[in-house]
Amino acid sequence: MAERLKAVDVVTVGVGLTGAILGKELAATGLKVVGLERGPMRDTVPDFQSPAIHDELRYAVRKALTQDNVKEAMTFRNSTGQTALPMRRWQGFMPGNGLGGAAVHWNGLTWRFQPADFVYRTHLEGRYGKGFVDSDLTIQDWGVTYAELEPHYDRFEYLCGTSGKAGNIKGVVQAGGNPFEGPRSREYPTRPMKEPYYGALFRKGAESLGYHPFPSPASTLSEPYTNPEGLSLHQCVFCGFCERFACEHFAKASPQTVILPVALKNPDYELRTGCQVLRVNLDSTGKKSTGVTYVDAAGREYEQPAELVLITAYSLNNVRMLLNSRIGKPYDPVTGEGVVGRNYAFQTMSYASVFYDQDVVINPFMASGASGTVIDDFAGDNFDHKGLGFIGGAYISATMTGGRPIEFHPTPPGTPSWGLGWKQAVARHYNHTVVLTCHGSSHPMRGNCLDLDPTYKDAWGQPLLRVTFDFPQNDVRMSRYVTDKAVGIGRAMGGKIVAGAPRERPYDSTIYQTTHNTGGAIMGNDPTTSAVNRYLQSWDVPNVFVVGASAYPHNASYNPTGTVGALTYWALDAIKNRYLKAPGALVPR
Amino acid sequence: MKLGPWIGAAVAMFGLAAQAQDNLKRGADIAANGAGDNVPACSGCHAQNGIAGGSGAFPRLAGQSAWYMARQFADYASGARNSALMGPIAKALSAADGAAVAAYYASAKGPFVFNNRADATLIERGRQLARVGDQAKQLAACNNCHGPGGIGGFPAIPFLAGQYADYIALQLQMWKSGSRKDGADSMADIAKRLSDQDMAAVAAYYQQLREAPTQAAK
Repeated sequence: MAERLKAVDVVTVGVGLTGAILGKELAATGLKVVGLERGPMRDTVPDFQSPAIHDELRYAVRKALTQDNVKEAMTFRNSTGQTALPMRRWQGFMPGNGLGGAAVHWNGLTWRFQPADFVYRTHLEGRYGKGFVDSDLTIQDWGVTYAELEPHYDRFEYLCGTSGKAGNIKGVVQAGGNPFEGPRSREYPTRPMKEPYYGALFRKGAESLGYHPFPSPASTLSEPYTNPEGLSLHQCVFCGFCERFACEHFAKASPQTVILPVALKNPDYELRTGCQVLRVNLDSTGKKSTGVTYVDAAGREYEQPAELVLITAYSLNNVRMLLNSRIGKPYDPVTGEGVVGRNYAFQTMSYASVFYDQDVVINPFMASGASGTVIDDFAGDNFDHKGLGFIGGAYISATMTGGRPIEFHPTPPGTPSWGLGWKQAVARHYNHTVVLTCHGSSHPMRGNCLDLDPTYKDAWGQPLLRVTFDFPQNDVRMSRYVTDKAVGIGRAMGGKIVAGAPRERPYDSTIYQTTHNTGGAIMGNDPTTSAVNRYLQSWDVPNVFVVGASAYPHNASYNPTGTVGALTYWALDAIKNRYLKAPGALVPR
Repeated sequence: MKLGPWIGAAVAMFGLAAQAQDNLKRGADIAANGAGDNVPACSGCHAQNGIAGGSGAFPRLAGQSAWYMARQFADYASGARNSALMGPIAKALSAADGAAVAAYYASAKGPFVFNNRADATLIERGRQLARVGDQAKQLAACNNCHGPGGIGGFPAIPFLAGQYADYIALQLQMWKSGSRKDGADSMADIAKRLSDQDMAAVAAYYQQLREAPTQAAK
């Protein structure tokens, strides 16, 4: 029998990026907040210090910072006709675990989505007419606009100290920035990072083709910065260990560096690590949450009553928490009805490898996860899709993230995949290759969804999340088109061999793309097609908010973290200024 | 097999090696005798074997990164690094001579001598800062950049292990006060987080790291 604890005002299920921001802010209003984190406590000092943190085998190959899939896996299948099997190692993506969540091991790429993304269906039908979008794509408007989110994007970037160059300030296009971006209210908080050599080669190549290169927006900082919380970040030293690692230098924005220390100083905020939340509890009506039930590190079960429950876990786990708690109607891919598990999307990544002669020395290890140069010419709806046969797009970038020795082995087509020939090719090409990334949008389709696995359970006896996913044909066509453009840039960069690898079906969960899993608890204005309203509040249980990339109706051409940050502050604003004054549904059903 | 290109390459490599030897000789010569009226012998302060006097007034150069030392010459010459002593010398030194001196001292093998050791508590605090950092001050471990055991992150980042404590502490004070501005931007920010005691601690820790065991046992 669970021991019942003293009631508090707010519980956050997970203390990663969203849980840390919401926990800190709500505790600052005087509410009693408890942050429940299933993973361990950890901090820059002593946990992330080198040389141990640069252990590529431990962190990058064996993924030490991710969810423990011995205790809690997910199952996967490509289509609803297949039987899903558990993923016993993370290969396709890396859900975070532990204090700070996935925002500890991210690369720091901090993008905004396009204004068109938030009114996606309306925008596309307006520009291209009805019937232009493949009928199996379940895209929809988000229920929030770019203009509404702009102050929250701004606040998040200033929290992180993001380094970059604005391309559009209040409608005025700025030289050197991204001319396609939505208007910003002001410049980035810190200057762009220094351009690596691979970025400079890309810039020249892209400019020669008439494209618009600009520095990648990076929360791995170009210069020392003190954020509005009073916390200071140091300058990035381009060590090449961001993605899959934690930063030892206080140079990458993470909950530990930008906000948690403030929360932890507030006696109204209590962090409990090693606490696995089993479910969000509901009262007899099923329309009000009474708190959560969790198991602590010693295996004891507790009931933590709370007035307000914020589900702030990794996006996939947000969806699982709703399903295991029976909040919202589960999505049925056959009928297309139901909302929880709907519109699961990912990212459509592809690459073009640009191989040079040995006199061109790239030094790919001198990098941060976010340093480099980008074009936005082929992202989202920045180009005319008429006659192309697809929607969406990809940014193309030279952002090499570190060239670490175990996993970075560029070889040209025709190279043997093992043995002496392979080794010789790796030695020949390692330092003379630029890999261009096409970071593509991912559209939801009817059959792609999240639900509870009927067979497999976790260490606490709860059903695992089942992921059903394959690339929509639309996204495959997009990937071919944009990868061709990247190959063209590679040629203009002077590569001797340029090898494009567009994304093809079927999606393979053993091949890493990104950790940009989105959707499943999507936001919107219609309770029959969205799990949460425009403020990320559950339509069914108004004292539950579900915050994270789980709210995205589709995934845009960009890394999702910037928009996660913006939506978190957007939800915070609604909770603080509206919900707390009059608890209840912020949007009538 | 045609031997022509191989012989050519061998001759070129020999040529390069001979050039490097000449360079080292030139560096050693300047270290011992100076170069013209405005460049006194480096050995006067830094000793011919690069271990300086041991007082800590002058840094140890033996085994330091050549690239880093050449960069210091450039910074002294431009005034980016401010020193009434080194500024005029660096200005008078040609870039080629500067590179030669740097190469010479990088290759110098002066011993690590025993110095008066600070008390164990201070060294332990320094060890903590150097190897682990300080969360409360948002300070990363010095070794993150200066290499495991403070052996340096060559070519750009100098070694600290075996450097004189007084010299390290003085540089940190200068970064903190703003009188040293060259090098990584992050050093000023880091130095501002260090108390006088912290500076003395890291300096004392690094100084004793490479002492010869027989000397340390005395």
